[in-house]
Amino acid sequence: MQEFNYHRPITITELKECLSIPGARILAGGTDIVPRMRQGKFSVPALVDTSGVKAMRFIEDQGSEIVLGALTTHQEAADSPLLQNINPALVTAAESIGCQQTRCRGTLGGNIANASPAADTLPALLIFDATLLLQSLEGERRIPLEEFLLGPGQTDLLEGEFIHSISFKPMIGSWGAAFIKIGKRSGMAISVANTAVAVELNDKGKISDIRIALGSVAPTVIRCRKIEQALLGKEPEPALMKEIHKACQEEISPITDIRSSAEYRNHAAEVIIHRALESAVEQAKERGR
Amino acid sequence: MKTITVSFLLNGKKTSVTSLPNRTLLDVLREDLGLTGAKDACGGEGECGACTVIMNGNPVNSCMIFIGQIEGTQITTIEGLMEKGEFHRLQKSFVEAGAVQCGFCTPGAILTAKTLLDNNPHPTDHEIREGLSGNLCRCTGYNKMIDAIHLAEQGGLDD
Repeated sequence: MQEFNYHRPITITELKECLSIPGARILAGGTDIVPRMRQGKFSVPALVDTSGVKAMRFIEDQGSEIVLGALTTHQEAADSPLLQNINPALVTAAESIGCQQTRCRGTLGGNIANASPAADTLPALLIFDATLLLQSLEGERRIPLEEFLLGPGQTDLLEGEFIHSISFKPMIGSWGAAFIKIGKRSGMAISVANTAVAVELNDKGKISDIRIALGSVAPTVIRCRKIEQALLGKEPEPALMKEIHKACQEEISPITDIRSSAEYRNHAAEVIIHRALESAVEQAKERGR
Repeated sequence: MKTITVSFLLNGKKTSVTSLPNRTLLDVLREDLGLTGAKDACGGEGECGACTVIMNGNPVNSCMIFIGQIEGTQITTIEGLMEKGEFHRLQKSFVEAGAVQCGFCTPGAILTAKTLLDNNPHPTDHEIREGLSGNLCRCTGYNKMIDAIHLAEQGGLDD
């Protein structure tokens, strides 16, 4: 096992100081980094363990916004009644990650910073236009999650910076939000394709707001503006599958890799968007009653 | 690389270990503390659950946790499950239902089952399958584990 200098800050000020060490890397749940370090695939001069930083582990309703501490675990998100009310897609996504053992360790901030194209919480955060609060010794800045994700494993995070928290606004009116993923098996599998869909219906029952995000079909998890545009103002009915099919072909060009083929991903993306839309519409109608 | 000293509650006892920081909880349990119930079966990828221990009430893979990360936590291993010389009802029910064959996954499966029953005293078959999805077993086909958990849930066995 490789060597590194180990730091364990307790306060956020100490965390900022530790991360200002050149080459320092943050350790959150460790579900990704620890196995990679054990296998010698990843090395760092300094590792900053956040297990003592309790102030970044919270789920808060701040009125106009919901704020999630970056060290909130997937299991905590999955078990949160508040999130179930505000963003059920995120709850379903968090529940679907790995197994209990990994959900109890893996964190929302870790899932974001890892920037896997197949990350499950990211579509559910993107459809709520989530914003990240990044901090460092230099100060802090806010950035939309969508702009933060640059490529597979690549983000806008600068040296010395860390994700402090994630925030998003609740939807109002007749809305619904759902997450669906497809993997090789239901437990532990990395998504072959995943999607989150949020929809709002107006009083005529037409789609007045729609947000769709897809994972595993592009270098990052993406918002699907073309598909959203194609569905806006339409009546949510089974015939929308045609519109989804057409817009999906324009929107995505997935690759063939170890987990699946491009052809399958194309087809799967359309099907899961349609299913997630149906589920979101169902919730929206329920709320509208 | 400097050693670190980590204090935690292990099977109810205050414990302090001094180790290099690049070792996992699994390494320390097995090599320093002589607790070999937790196993490394998948090579430290967090895929198999054979190294599962209970940390603050949650099942976790001890192969994915650096030793520094357990400072101040409560850890239970399979060795800590016996009470007053009696096996835990899950340990008995796993034997009774034939849910143990080669035994490699058993400590992890029992500890995961314990956290499941602690949070949900009467789980459905589906909830048990979901709960155990991180514990791979190549012998039993899982059905006997499900039987064992139902057996324990119904109060275990009268000896």
